[in-house]
Amino acid sequence: MDVYLYVEGNSPLHRLDPRPKMLLVVGLIFLAVAAEHPLVPGALLGLVLAAAQVAGAWPALRRVRTILLTIGGFSTVAWALLARGTTPLLGPVTVESLLYGLGTGLKLVATIAGSVVFLATTKNEELAAGLIRLGLPYPVAFAFSTALRLVPTFVGTGATIIQAQKSRGLDVESGHLLERMRKHIPLVVPIFAGAIRSANRLAMALESKGFGARPRRTYYLELRMGPGDWAAVAVAALMFLGFLLIRLTGWGEIPGLHR
Amino acid sequence: MSTAIDLRGVRFTYRGAARPALDGVDLTVAPGEFVVLVGPSGAGKSTLCYILNGLVPQFLRGRLEGSVTILGEPAAGRKVSALAEKVGLVFQDFESQLFSTNVELEVAFAPENFGVDPAEIRRRVRECLATVGLTGLEHREPATLSGGQKQRLAIASVLSMEPRILVMDEPTTDLDPLGKEAVFAVARRLRERGLTLVIAEHETEEAAAADRVVVLHEGRVVAQGTPREVLTRADWLEELGVQPLGAAQITARLGLPPALTVEEAVEVLREAGYRVDPAALVELRERDRRRAAALGEPVIEVRDLEHRYPNGVAALQGVNLTIRRGEFVALVGQNGSGKTTLVKHLNGLLQPTGGEVRVAGVPTAGQSVLQLGRRVGYVFQNPDHQIFAETVYDEVAFGPRNHGLPEPEVQARVEEALAAVGLTGREEEDPFAMTRGERQRVAVASVLATRPEVIILDEPTTGLDYREQRQMMELVRRLNEQGHTILCVTHTMWVVAEYAHRTVVMRDGRIWMDGPTREVLAREEELTAASLKPPQLVRITGRLGGTLLSLEECLHALRKG
Amino acid sequence: MIVLTVLVAAVYAAVLIPFKAIPIVPGITELRIAQVLPPVASLLFGPAAAWGIAIGNLIGDLFGTFGPGSAFGFLGNFFLGAMPYMLWGRLGPLSAHQEPAMANRRQVLEFIIVTAVSGIACAFAIAWGLELLGLFPFTVLGLLIAMNNVILPGAVGWIVLRLLYRRVKRWGLIWTELMEPEEVGNQPTASVAAWLCAVATLAGWALCLALSVGAGGKFGDAGLQAGTGGAMNVVLAGAPFLAAILLSFVLGSPRTDLGQQGGERAA
Repeated sequence: MDVYLYVEGNSPLHRLDPRPKMLLVVGLIFLAVAAEHPLVPGALLGLVLAAAQVAGAWPALRRVRTILLTIGGFSTVAWALLARGTTPLLGPVTVESLLYGLGTGLKLVATIAGSVVFLATTKNEELAAGLIRLGLPYPVAFAFSTALRLVPTFVGTGATIIQAQKSRGLDVESGHLLERMRKHIPLVVPIFAGAIRSANRLAMALESKGFGARPRRTYYLELRMGPGDWAAVAVAALMFLGFLLIRLTGWGEIPGLHR
Repeated sequence: MSTAIDLRGVRFTYRGAARPALDGVDLTVAPGEFVVLVGPSGAGKSTLCYILNGLVPQFLRGRLEGSVTILGEPAAGRKVSALAEKVGLVFQDFESQLFSTNVELEVAFAPENFGVDPAEIRRRVRECLATVGLTGLEHREPATLSGGQKQRLAIASVLSMEPRILVMDEPTTDLDPLGKEAVFAVARRLRERGLTLVIAEHETEEAAAADRVVVLHEGRVVAQGTPREVLTRADWLEELGVQPLGAAQITARLGLPPALTVEEAVEVLREAGYRVDPAALVELRERDRRRAAALGEPVIEVRDLEHRYPNGVAALQGVNLTIRRGEFVALVGQNGSGKTTLVKHLNGLLQPTGGEVRVAGVPTAGQSVLQLGRRVGYVFQNPDHQIFAETVYDEVAFGPRNHGLPEPEVQARVEEALAAVGLTGREEEDPFAMTRGERQRVAVASVLATRPEVIILDEPTTGLDYREQRQMMELVRRLNEQGHTILCVTHTMWVVAEYAHRTVVMRDGRIWMDGPTREVLAREEELTAASLKPPQLVRITGRLGGTLLSLEECLHALRKG
Repeated sequence: MIVLTVLVAAVYAAVLIPFKAIPIVPGITELRIAQVLPPVASLLFGPAAAWGIAIGNLIGDLFGTFGPGSAFGFLGNFFLGAMPYMLWGRLGPLSAHQEPAMANRRQVLEFIIVTAVSGIACAFAIAWGLELLGLFPFTVLGLLIAMNNVILPGAVGWIVLRLLYRRVKRWGLIWTELMEPEEVGNQPTASVAAWLCAVATLAGWALCLALSVGAGGKFGDAGLQAGTGGAMNVVLAGAPFLAAILLSFVLGSPRTDLGQQGGERAA
């Protein structure tokens, strides 16, 4: 079952060490939310889309486009209606509120698309290895990556359960609200009970593979920073500097906006 | 050190259990020996496996008496992690023993835990993946592997600790025939390298390759010896609840020298002058024909069915199939051959992307699963994927209630269904507390309660021991005799031979063979092409002049002269 | 047991992902059956569930909604998984002072209360965080997420828990039986902490909501007239309440003495 966003490839972004890549995502997020004006996130979205082109990450972006546009659109509309400005445009919408709404929408789209490009070019194990090397305690990283490994298994189990209960006449579409809610019980209980049942089996297998056997464990995946990786760190640092600069100078504020 | 494993007077009682799981077991395994443990569910096979690497009593608590010596050292008081490096343990359920997001990391996981140097781990990963035949899949997600590949990965992930002893607890139970064979091939390879192997199994045909077979029953070793010494006691094994070998069964019943393999049995039978009596065979075929002629009108008609998944992959192509009222059909084929995709069209879970499916003359297109469910019941493979209610009664009542029946009618349906599966009087029990075999019967009852004409069963015998498999199939046979049309998806070939009237073989999304079971199972070569192997008795009698499907048929139709 | 954290995270993520396709306010909140899991898992597995729910939500974000809000999503979901078991049995007259087997009305009532508090705390944390970043108005998310977290779980979560509790107990996996008392701690301030947690949650959320919709005149006149922005008021007013919630975790400890009789321990 193919549930992950990773897209096979060998682009420069695929080859980048996961640590600087994570820093780039963090830098992107900071820089994107720094200013009110849509200019900065707009430019960043352009960069992200260029990166997607380089990395061949379009399949991943295509998969999330609905949700991406909904989030961006929702934020834009919400602020356009709820924020206040000085130049009326249409009803409660003002030039300033619309501009601000566009800004927030672009911020969300740029950052989420950025993280999707990151996930499209970073394997799960690289992500976990990167987090460990950045100081995440191993048990947390283990919980994270093993859960990630089990997600497709449970998605598959969930799909089977839905089919099994439908075959017994369950119809979640009909009935009033409370009835429909209650109809989810036959779906939730088996998936949860099945997972709980497997807890002892997982724990026994873990024990049998020496989990926690030694105070120090070694790591098979080795990460090495090359010149390109350091360059990426520098770019991330610049993004963070940009964030500070924008915040300190108050650049990019929308005059007359009031939210 | 002279022994790999030495158990003396081992008795273990799980905390809170009334009866010991192991009750005075003495067992010695020499280094390099290949031992197979057989026995019905609850005989203590798993407990014995767990004792060998310390999971019992370190993880699964209880009272352990007697002495356990592993590679010359007493195991008492040693942690699982201390024993695990020496005794690798592979479990039945492959999903819950894989922890990593790709194949090579899975193999590296255990040595990482033991602090092995990364360069050394790299060597082991290469070697272990080669051993289990997964070289080239290093970067795959475990979730994208087949069941057989997952289980081989689980073996590699334990071998990478370089254990001296490898213990496997029913490693092939959840696999299809190809997957099973691949796992046994790995076992043979490891044995050649001198690894000590202990495998709990309930498929006795594979046990014949072992150095020694140990039979467990109610926590005791009731027999052990070479496969020849143990497995030839076919009737005795069957009585214990262990599947007997056809070759051993037939030779024993006819009072001939014991045989374990098809070739041996054929030779023994020929020498004694046995062959399939042509007249008796004609009689059997005539009976098959009469039964087929008595069937009702078509209830399921599949015409040029094609199914393409949204990603464009064709799971089914050009499938044509007609099933008549009252028929008992087995649908076999490897995983991925399209069996499940096909049957999901019959109750509307899937809609054709080409061609047509009719149920009782009406196209399924536009009908909901709820509507089709009145005619076609579908028992899923794993009962735990549907059981949720607090009591057996509520579980079985779920279907009829969904169909909007009034409560008195629901009650009548539940009573009827529970009577059919032999669970009358257990309405108020918690289905979660029942055995797998009983849960499977609850699942069947919950489908029966909607009184469907057609019942689809997906792998109804998986995860059950021999006795439970028999009970389940006897139940299905009774349902068929009461008029239900049965479509049974299965990998278990003796089930096909003994119960199905007609067998449909699928391969690569098409129907590869279709006909009376006796005819289909006779075509061994074509079955081999679909990676299927008829049961021993069928193969033996095939070489003696005619295909016989069960022990009863053999005793009736094998004659001297 | 780390395995329970892994399983809770994996199941939560697995049931979150399919709902990414039919979002109402996607990424930040969806009307989702997955919301039934946090209170149920919390009362079954305690701390393992708190981390499992937080990690599971983060993994859910990795399937297409990871962004500036994810850090607050992590915090909010941690509240969601942690508060029910932290508050259970600590709310004086509101508590049933029994194990959460959902065997009687008082237990169900307590379930609904702790689910509501944890659900609102989650909404509070996420909406406050996104208001801080200026990405979504507090009103919208504060209400939507709270409704999501409270209505469905309150309506059916207790039934799910009733179907599971007894069984999980039989399997020996209820957290109070898996953990040693010293691992959990027993703070003398636990009851006070529980009330602090509940009151800070409800008061902080309600206050921020009020400020956000503009009824904030009483609390900050600057809000409407002076152009410093109602948003700043929300952020400033919410901060001490969030701090109080976090403080309540430091001062608090869950009840482990309920329903100890019977039930064998595995693992």
